Amino acid sequence: MAEQGFVESFTMEEEKLQQEFYESHHGKEILKCIQCGTCSGSCPLTDQMDHAPRELFSLIRDGFMADALCSNTPWFCVSCYQCMVRCPREIPVTDLMYALKQMAVSHDVAQPSNKMPDLYDAFSREVKRAGKMNETGLMARYGLKHPLDMPAKTGLALRLYRRGRLAIKSDKTRNPDQIRRMMETQPEGMEK
Amino acid sequence: MKYGFFPGCAYKTAAGYEESVNAVNSLLGIELVEIRDWNCCGATAAFSREENSALALAARIMALAEQQGFSEIVTVCNACYATLKKAEHKLSGNPQRLKKVNGFLKADGLTLNQPVPVRHYLDVLIEDIPLEVWIQGKKTVFPFHDRVAAYYGCQLTRPYGEPSQAERPDRLEKLLLALGVPVVKHSAQTLCCGASHIIGYEKQCLPLISRITGEMKNKGAEIITTLCPMCQFNLDYGQEKIQGKKLPVTYFTQVIGLAMGIAPESLGLDKLLVSLILKRRPQHAI
Repeated sequence: MAEQGFVESFTMEEEKLQQEFYESHHGKEILKCIQCGTCSGSCPLTDQMDHAPRELFSLIRDGFMADALCSNTPWFCVSCYQCMVRCPREIPVTDLMYALKQMAVSHDVAQPSNKMPDLYDAFSREVKRAGKMNETGLMARYGLKHPLDMPAKTGLALRLYRRGRLAIKSDKTRNPDQIRRMMETQPEGMEK
Repeated sequence: MKYGFFPGCAYKTAAGYEESVNAVNSLLGIELVEIRDWNCCGATAAFSREENSALALAARIMALAEQQGFSEIVTVCNACYATLKKAEHKLSGNPQRLKKVNGFLKADGLTLNQPVPVRHYLDVLIEDIPLEVWIQGKKTVFPFHDRVAAYYGCQLTRPYGEPSQAERPDRLEKLLLALGVPVVKHSAQTLCCGASHIIGYEKQCLPLISRITGEMKNKGAEIITTLCPMCQFNLDYGQEKIQGKKLPVTYFTQVIGLAMGIAPESLGLDKLLVSLILKRRPQHAI
């Protein structure tokens, strides 16, 4: 987890990070942006974001990569693809939000105060363990990081269980270890 | 008709989805054959962390489908649909990337020769089932009495669907109308329910849910019908936290089942959090 002051620690790297975004993640698409704000106006969770998508693209173009990578914006993106189908310049906005999340994860600067990186981490650990996603396992892993979220969910879990809507015993693939190995393989030179 | 079926991780515990899909299948002669040893598609989580392993998860499902002789994959979940479709797009016409994904699959002794096309079960019902089969299957002749609001959610119609259907689709409404189900016209068909953000950000997701269910109530809906386990859960559960009248949130296969004359007991309707009380029970129910 990144510590306070981590923004300063890689400001020198910003140009390199901008290049990484442009070259390895199709980030150059944002050079087409006309700053119309259709994306920001279409986003269902824009009121939670520190920089709405239009502003985020502007920051990146001006080289403020530290701000962009530490922004909560990509983590509040719910992948509804509304911005993407509406963008008059056909910029794949949602895909670029994924790219920014991937970069934040790989540089270990994912928004420390946002819960979504922990949820996605819990999700991927559960898939590596079982090959499938089990709600109970997912919530247990997530709950370890965010115990305050859990009491309110216990009553709901019980009601879902009574209706046959919660599996306690986890479902697995035949050989989950192979899935884990596969997810951890890193063939060289794979394009993003 | 026989299809390779990818149920996805949420299907088994989804409120009556499996029961109603099976009931509709047996009425229409559709056979969904589960892809053996399928894994999680990775949903939005895997692509939020690392692109290559996310692609490998989806590709493994395709490789299994191919190995088991299926030319198409049918799914019942919007998130699975969009994730697999994303892989289909990224791997189509890109032999270099396909080759690299196969590098991942080797760890599991699998090979993918070409991406396997992905479809949602709704598409199968609309495109593949001839009118005569629907007419033969229908066990009732009386009209459905409850007004239904169709809720597509986000990821079925965007970004890989027909551009004209991206925000104001009408395919499900047309199907329901043809089966005698009264539908309401409303503006929340493809608004976002908050998806998995509800786990950590419930308070922030409730306004999204309220916007959807409020609009449907304003337009006179009595039942909501969905196409995705995540959408169903968020609307079903979310309404508990929102003041006012609550609408039962069904799966489209439950409404179709009712309209076709299948007994409510066979459709898993007792699993809903907001109970469904029909104005009039279907007659001639089988």
